Amino acid sequence: MTGDPDLTSEPDVTGELRQILAGLTGDSRPLDAPADTPLLRDGIGLDSLGGTMLLTEIRRRYGIDVADQDLNLDSLASIRTLAAYISMRLSPEHPP
Amino acid sequence: MIKCVVWDLDNTLLDGIYLESPDQPPAASPGLAGILTELAGRGILHAIASRNPPEAGQYAERATGHAFAAIQCGWGTKSAAIRAIMSELGVAADAIAFVDDDAMERAEVSFSLPDVLVLAPRDMADAVGWPQFSPPAVTDEARRRGDLYLQRRSRQEEARAFGGSREEFLRYCQTRVSIGLATLADLPRLHELSVRTHQFNSAGRVLSEAEFAWLFGSPRRQVVTVRLSDRFGDDGIVGGCVLVAGSGPAPRPGYGTWNVPLLMMSCRALGRGVIDALLTWICQTARAGGAAQVAMTCLVSPRNVPLRIALTGAGFRAGTDTGTAGVPRFAVYVRRLGEPLPDLPDWVTVAR
Repeated sequence: MTGDPDLTSEPDVTGELRQILAGLTGDSRPLDAPADTPLLRDGIGLDSLGGTMLLTEIRRRYGIDVADQDLNLDSLASIRTLAAYISMRLSPEHPP
Repeated sequence: MIKCVVWDLDNTLLDGIYLESPDQPPAASPGLAGILTELAGRGILHAIASRNPPEAGQYAERATGHAFAAIQCGWGTKSAAIRAIMSELGVAADAIAFVDDDAMERAEVSFSLPDVLVLAPRDMADAVGWPQFSPPAVTDEARRRGDLYLQRRSRQEEARAFGGSREEFLRYCQTRVSIGLATLADLPRLHELSVRTHQFNSAGRVLSEAEFAWLFGSPRRQVVTVRLSDRFGDDGIVGGCVLVAGSGPAPRPGYGTWNVPLLMMSCRALGRGVIDALLTWICQTARAGGAAQVAMTCLVSPRNVPLRIALTGAGFRAGTDTGTAGVPRFAVYVRRLGEPLPDLPDWVTVAR
């Protein structure tokens, strides 16, 4: 052990998202795809129903209702944009 | 409204436990099999979620004489099986009823999927009389719904084996989308779509046949139906929309904006290129009529996220959100027509 685990560090949202995506698509590619891979269509390959299931899981896990807050769903552009959106909403400075 | 009933097998749809008597598995429960047939006649789909080997599903089809729209037999949780059925059929959790004799299984599903209607077998005799199980109109599409989902099963099996792109698969299936003006004969189906569609519904409310008939009454309004077929079968009318031409003399604001007060599509058409074709058709038609932009007033709710994903993909952008977060509200999604429009795929025909 090089030290105690850092209990104050932020959750690894990107890593968790990759796990969720792998579960939804039944495919391991999301685990190591580049972070700017698009989520829909030709990227990770989510269709509109897959996108909905992803947002349902995010609401369950983080309590963030992306579909309600992001009218244009721009956060679904890529793994990176979605992780950034969630991290921003999770940060203590962000108003609830 | 319940669209699909997911049945457990052991001591539910079967009068006993499948694996306990492999030589002579238990017969179907006569009471529940009768209820299943009654509900199928109303256009409600049936699926199986059972902790059993896959043969159990095939056996249940023989025992009940019913071909199920989806079968999940395996050793995972019932909620995972129901999620797989939702994904396969394109049905949302609150349109699913789950019937299981085991209280633990019912509790697990209630906890993981709180929107699913969870029932014990003894509830079913009453449940057939509940409004959730009584669709308002039984149209031709409703009567054939079970068959249409069986065609969907074959299509999905072929899609999994198919090597090419989605476009190539749609072409291989001889997909045909036909967009044309609605007639009075289409009123029951348009009303039914307004009741049944949620994931692809911009208005989020039911329109009566009389309201649709009223919409027919103006030359500025086009009430449109979308039909879908391919070599697996004919799905009939799977969607519709209302397109309203801009008004007033040319320089006035609003002249160059065409409005879409209603757009709806059945989940059955999901993944078959229909929503993209319809949005492209709307934009092309408006542009040909002189419009500078198309505006769609769309409900913002957790239910119709699939529609909003499709809108964004087709180049529509929402204006400023003036509502209250967490409360269902409307936003105006605008597509500017000065930007390039995609071509309609060659399998889309436009009837006049």
